[in-house]
Amino acid sequence: MNQSSLEKQLQQQAPAPDPAARIAARRAAVEEFKRLHGAVAPQSTSRRGIFQGLSGLLRPSRHQQDGSDSMPWITRNMWLSGAASICVALVGGTIVWNTLKQHPELTELSQAGTTPRGAGSETGTAVQTAPVGSSSPEITRTEPEQGDALPANAASDVQSNEPAATAPRVDDARVRIEVQQRAAEDKAKQDEVAKESAENEQAAAALASQAADGTAQAKREAGAAADAITADDLGKLPDVSLSESLQRIPGVKASGPTPAAPLPNEQGQEVVVTGQRAGLKTAMEMRRSVSGYTGPEKNAIAANAPPAPPPPPQQVTGRDKFEHFELNSIKRPQLEAERFSTFSADVDTSSYSFVRKQLDQGVLPQKDSVRIEEMVNYFDYSWPTAESREQPFRPTVVVSDSPWGKGRKLIHIGIKGYELPAKARPDANLVMLLDVSGSMDEPDKLPLVKQSMKLLLGSLKPTDTVAIVVYAGAAGMVLPPTPVGDKEEIHDALDRLQAGGSTAGAEGIELAYQLAEKSFRKEAVNRVILCTDGDFNVGIDSTNELKGYVERKREKGIFLSVLGFGQGNYRDELAQALAQNGNGVAAYIDTVNEARKVLVQEAVASLFTIAKDVKLQVEFNPATVAEYRLVGYETRALKQEDFKNDKVDAGDIGAGHTVTAIYEITPVGVDARMIEPGRYADEARVATKSKGNEYGFLRIRYKLPDASVSKEMQTPITIDSGKVPESIERDVQFSTAVAGFAQLLRGGQFTVSLSYEDVIKQGLAARGEDPYGYRNEFVQLVRKAQAAK
Amino acid sequence: MEEQDLIRRAQQGDATAFGELLDLYYDTIFRFAWKWCRHRENAEDIAQLACIKLASSLAQYRFQAAFSSWLYRLVISCAQDWQRSQRRHDHDELHESVPRDDESQTEDQIYLLQLLEELADLGEGMKETALLVHAEGMSHAEAGAVLGVSESTISWRVHTIRRHMGKREARVSESV
Repeated sequence: MNQSSLEKQLQQQAPAPDPAARIAARRAAVEEFKRLHGAVAPQSTSRRGIFQGLSGLLRPSRHQQDGSDSMPWITRNMWLSGAASICVALVGGTIVWNTLKQHPELTELSQAGTTPRGAGSETGTAVQTAPVGSSSPEITRTEPEQGDALPANAASDVQSNEPAATAPRVDDARVRIEVQQRAAEDKAKQDEVAKESAENEQAAAALASQAADGTAQAKREAGAAADAITADDLGKLPDVSLSESLQRIPGVKASGPTPAAPLPNEQGQEVVVTGQRAGLKTAMEMRRSVSGYTGPEKNAIAANAPPAPPPPPQQVTGRDKFEHFELNSIKRPQLEAERFSTFSADVDTSSYSFVRKQLDQGVLPQKDSVRIEEMVNYFDYSWPTAESREQPFRPTVVVSDSPWGKGRKLIHIGIKGYELPAKARPDANLVMLLDVSGSMDEPDKLPLVKQSMKLLLGSLKPTDTVAIVVYAGAAGMVLPPTPVGDKEEIHDALDRLQAGGSTAGAEGIELAYQLAEKSFRKEAVNRVILCTDGDFNVGIDSTNELKGYVERKREKGIFLSVLGFGQGNYRDELAQALAQNGNGVAAYIDTVNEARKVLVQEAVASLFTIAKDVKLQVEFNPATVAEYRLVGYETRALKQEDFKNDKVDAGDIGAGHTVTAIYEITPVGVDARMIEPGRYADEARVATKSKGNEYGFLRIRYKLPDASVSKEMQTPITIDSGKVPESIERDVQFSTAVAGFAQLLRGGQFTVSLSYEDVIKQGLAARGEDPYGYRNEFVQLVRKAQAAK
Repeated sequence: MEEQDLIRRAQQGDATAFGELLDLYYDTIFRFAWKWCRHRENAEDIAQLACIKLASSLAQYRFQAAFSSWLYRLVISCAQDWQRSQRRHDHDELHESVPRDDESQTEDQIYLLQLLEELADLGEGMKETALLVHAEGMSHAEAGAVLGVSESTISWRVHTIRRHMGKREARVSESV
C-alpha cells in the first residue's frame, strides 16, 4: 500500500450520524452546560434567547398565570426546560388559532371528532402513528391546562422528551428538518426513538415554517385533515398500491407511476405519488399532501368509516407497468403515406401468460397488457418450414374470410423458423442473472425461478456452460461458469439462493455481462438470461441507459433474454425493452408449465437465433384493397424507411419459432368500409392500375445470425390464395380466434359483433390434436374472461 | 462572524447558543470520531463525550486558533480518554475488543483498523497525525496547531508513517 491509497482509505466517508445519538449527545451536553452555567442568568447575554422572548410576548396575551414561579420545589433547570415546552406549545397554539380563524371548517372538523389521531407535538405524547399534521386543533383546548399542570408533569416530560427543548426557534427547527429527512432515508437505522423525535420535530418545524411564510396553503397542510390513509391501512384495503388507496378518498385523484383510472368525483385535488416504495420520507410527503385535501366530503376512511366498496374487478392496474399503446387504426392504401405497412417480427409471448394469470384470478387484464401479436404467437402453428439454415424461414400467406366483419378478409402471414437438428446445435454459454431481492420472496417468484432454471438445465447439452449471478442489495457471482455436465454443482448453487434485500438490477446486469465476456466463446451462443420480477430500483434504472448498455453488448455478441416472474410489480415495458435491445426473448413465467414450455420445448428457439432483425413490409394494392388494418404489432411498428435500413434493430427469430401476423382488409367494391369514401375523392384513377389479382406485396428482410447485411424475400399476396390449404386450415382458424379474443380484451373496437361465445366456438372448432393442452387452456381462458366481464 | 458570536454567547452561559453550536459541529465531531474508531456506536459514544466536554471547556477557547482546530483537539483527547476507559473495562477480553463496524465489515475495513492500531503503536500522536493529515487533509502546520506540537514534528511523523507504510508493503509482498 502506498501513501496515496492510505489517504484514499483514510478519507473514506464517515457514515451520517444517527439522529437519535445526535439528540442524546446534544441533550446531555446542554444539560451539563446548564448545570455549569446555572448561576449565570441567561438575561445577561447580549441577546435574549428567542424562546424566552417569544414566551414573554405570548404569555400575557393568552395565558395570564404560569404558576411555575410559585412552585418553589421546581429547580431552575426544570423551569428552563419547561418554559421551552410551553413556548413551543404557545407558538403552535397561536398558529393553529390563526389557522382556525381563517378556516372555520377545521374547527367543525375537530369538534366532529374525525381526527382521532392528531396529537400535540409538544405534549410528550407518543405520536408514532399520527398520520397527519400533528398540529391538531385540540391543542388550543388542552394547552392552557398543560401550562397549569406544568409542575406535575413537566419534569418527566423534559427528561424523556427532548424535542421540547430543542425546537424553540424557527431556523433551528428548519435545520433539524433537513437532518430528519436525511434520517428518514437512513431506513436501516430507524429505531423508535428516532421515529418519535422525527415526528415531533417535523411537526414543530412545520409549525415554525408556517409561521414564517404564512401562506394559506401551508396552513391548510398543517390543519387537521379528515382523510388519511396510512401504510397500516393499505393491507386492509383491497388495493395493491398507495395511489390506489389514495383514490379511495373522494375527490382525490392520485397519479403515480402507474396510470390510474380517473374517479367520477374529480373536484378534489391531485395527489402525486412520488415513489412506489413508500419509505418513511415518501410516507411523510404523502401525509402532507393528503392532509391538504379539504373537500366537502369528509370521510375518515383510515379510522372509522367502512372501506369503500371494492372497485369492479375490471382493469386492475396494480403496480405492473405496461407501455401504453393504441390499436392500429384503419389505413387506406389509396393514400400514398398509408400504402406501406412495416413492422418488426415479434416472437415474445409474455403478454399471453400475463393475461392468463390475471384471468385465473378472475380479473380482466389491464388493456395495455394485452398485445395481440404476443397472444397469437403464444401458440405453435404448423406453417411450412424452410429447408436450410441459409434460408432460415419462408413466409406462408393465407387469405380467408374475416369473422369480425361481413365482406372483409383476413390475410395471415405465417413464418416458421428453421429447426436446428440437435447435432447442429452450437454450444451455449449462459449466464443466469437472478433477482434475489426481497420482493422475489414469493411462491411464484424465486422458487419458480429455481424450478425453471433446473428445467432449462435439463434441456442443455453437457458441454454447455452455465454461470449464476444474483443481484439484490449488491450483485454477486454464485456460480462461476460451469459445464452443464456438473449438474449437481449447479443445482446446489440454485438451492442455496435466498431472497432478501433491495434490487440493484443494473449492477447485476453489468456483472453478468462481465462474466459472459470472460467466458465468451466465439463459436457458442453467448447469452445472459435475466430472471426478475422487474423491480430495478437501484443503480442505472433509466430504461434508456439500460437499453443502450444492452445494445452495446449485443454488438459484442452477447445476447439477453428476460424471463419475468411474479405479479404486482412487474415492469413489462422494461423487460420488453431490454429483451428487444438484447436480441432476446421476453417471456413471462407464471407457472411451472409455462416454464416448461418456454425453457424446455422452446429452449432451442429461445437460445439459438436463426435470423436477426426480421422486418416485414406489406405494400397494399390500392386497386383491390380499400382499407386494411394490422392486427397487433402496435409496439413493433417501424417506419417505412426503416425497412431497408440495416442499422435499425428489429425482432429475431429463433430455431423453430413461429411468427404470425394478421391483416384485416376490406376489398374494393365490398360495402363494409369503416371509412366512408370522401365526396370529392377520385377513386377511379387508382382503380385502373394493373395487377388486379393481387391484394398486395409482401417483403421480408432479415439477417443471418452472424451477418450484418440483410437479405430480402418477396412474395405477392394474391386474391386467389384464398383457398386455405387443409394442413394449416385449423391453425388459421385458431390464430384468428386468439386474435379475436385479444381484441375483445382490448375493448373490441374493430370486431363489431364478435362475442366471447363466438371465440369459444371458433377455438373449440380449431383445437385440433393439441398434445400439450395449450389450446384447450385457451378456451378455458375465454370462459374466464366471459365470467370476469 | 456568526460562529464567533455563538461561541461568545455560549461562553457567557447562553444555553440556546450552545445548543446551536452543537448543531453546527456535531457532524464534524461525529465524523472525526468515526474515522478514529471506524465503528458507529463507539463513535457516537466519543461524540457524546466530546459534546459534554465542550460544555465545560468552551470557556477555555481563546479565539487564538480556528475553532475547528480547537475542536479536533478536544475530540482527540476525548477519543483517547474513551479508549483508555475501554481498555480498563475490557481488559480481560482485550483481544475481542477489536471494534467491529456493523455496517461494512469488509476486508478493507479490517485492514484499515489493523493499520490504525499499528500506527497508534508506532508512537504517541502517530495515529492522530495520520488522521489529521491524511484523512482530514490538513496541512502540517494546521495539524501541528491541533495537536499542540510544531509543524516540523508533524512533518517528521508523516515521514515516519510513510516509512512504516513502505516497510509494511515490502513485508506483504515478501510474504505473498
